[in-house]
Amino acid sequence: MKTSNKITDKDLNRVFLRSFSMEFSWNYERQMSLAYVYAMIPALKKLYADNREGLIKALKRHLEFFNMTPHIVTLMLGISIAMEKENSESDSFDENSINNIKTALMGPLSGIGDSFFWGTLRLIATGIGTSLALKGNILGPIIFLLIFNIPHIIIRYIFTKMGYRLGTEFLSRLEKTGTMKKVTYGASILGLIVIGAMTSQMVSLTTPLAIGQGEGAVVVQNILNDIMPGILPLATFGAVYYLLGKNVKPLTILLGMAIFGILGSFIGIF
Amino acid sequence: MITAFLLGLIAFVSQCEYALGTSLICRPIVTGLLTGIVMGDIKAGVIMGATLELAFIGSFSVGGSLPPDVITGGILAIAFSIASKSGVETVLLLALPIATFTLIMKNLYNGIIIPMLLHKADDYASEGNCKGIERMHLLSGFGLSLLLGVITFVAFYLGGDVITNLLKMIPTFVQRGLEVATGIIPALGFAMLARLLLNKELVVYLFLGFFIAAYTGIPLTGIAIFGAILAIILVNVSSNGVGVRETVSNTQGGELEDEDF
Repeated sequence: MKTSNKITDKDLNRVFLRSFSMEFSWNYERQMSLAYVYAMIPALKKLYADNREGLIKALKRHLEFFNMTPHIVTLMLGISIAMEKENSESDSFDENSINNIKTALMGPLSGIGDSFFWGTLRLIATGIGTSLALKGNILGPIIFLLIFNIPHIIIRYIFTKMGYRLGTEFLSRLEKTGTMKKVTYGASILGLIVIGAMTSQMVSLTTPLAIGQGEGAVVVQNILNDIMPGILPLATFGAVYYLLGKNVKPLTILLGMAIFGILGSFIGIF
Repeated sequence: MITAFLLGLIAFVSQCEYALGTSLICRPIVTGLLTGIVMGDIKAGVIMGATLELAFIGSFSVGGSLPPDVITGGILAIAFSIASKSGVETVLLLALPIATFTLIMKNLYNGIIIPMLLHKADDYASEGNCKGIERMHLLSGFGLSLLLGVITFVAFYLGGDVITNLLKMIPTFVQRGLEVATGIIPALGFAMLARLLLNKELVVYLFLGFFIAAYTGIPLTGIAIFGAILAIILVNVSSNGVGVRETVSNTQGGELEDEDF
């Protein structure tokens, strides 16, 4: 075991600080991926200090699609770092499991995180803040920020350490019992179910087309829904998946989508 | 001119909330205070900010969609309102067209410009260039902050009418077309992720997730819980020796099915 690869509290603190910009480069294509890799870089640089090939693979890995409630993302970062550490030390580690775990956890964790931070804490902060501010009290905005951000920063900090510890303990236990393969298999299943569900829920494409006019018009979207709900998003996904397999550049696909949208809307099929 | 510049600065800093832990500094209740300070009427700013905060309380980005932009909408509406000494009601009327205009710009930026920088970051990743990736991340964020700052500056400098007219000038089909495009762009991210994880044996689970969502409308968390239970069951089955043979035969028999997918 190489001592230079040890992850210290100082490294985790740097990741914690970088996690604050989690939504800074949010975008439609891969959402938080760029910020995620940005936050991981201090840890990755250290883990793969003498393994350039490994570093390149890890950077690419964390540039894949990612989205989670930004305030709790450090839990995931901690787990990822523990897995990357394992990967950097062991040849038999399955690299795919790192992204599988990320994909599998982003939905459930966001479900909890969104309802707590957006649904509960923000509403408490807004309620107290606005009741003061509506009277013209300058403390309103200040209290609003304090109520939301003090718990948020504490949780974010604790989760960094907790995620790393959880990840490390989890992994060492798995290694002892030899269940890593099973977990990878399970995580792949879960990950793909989640990707499928996200495709259905987050990719949206419908058509306003109608056959005939007035009362007797048949709405095409209704027919499509009868055949199979989400048929257009699924077709889009399939087409993009196919094009990626033909080595078409993502940027080309992206521009193609913009043109597709504008043309489609011009001739009235979308 | 200086006022317009300061308002632009507030918009710039507010958008940097996303570099500061999504700390809610971009909410109208906060920008109202700052706008009030710049416009010389702190009390009015705070009150209008709180009013707008309540009006915009439901507009939060959930999933892939973004609400009208509260940053430029909030700042400009409050600033125009204090400058023209009109009431809080006008604030809301002024806020919406500006916020919608900014939303279109923001969507374009999030849908096209940042992905371009992201793909540049992909190239840097292939070279192992961490500095390059970091630069793309920061550039993405500060670029958007700058855009909002400039919109706020220009809008206040030229006045509200110009913004409303500008919005009318963009043809509807272009606006609609860009909406359509931003609706399908997530497919690219998912497909890239699927390319990474998918093999012939597992493709069925992608469809399972898709159709549970499509037919039942169960939220993602629910589907993930069912997925986790299913995964545990399948792992148990395969480790008890019952399912092992089946998975093997599946891999052999399934080779033709998803070649065209």
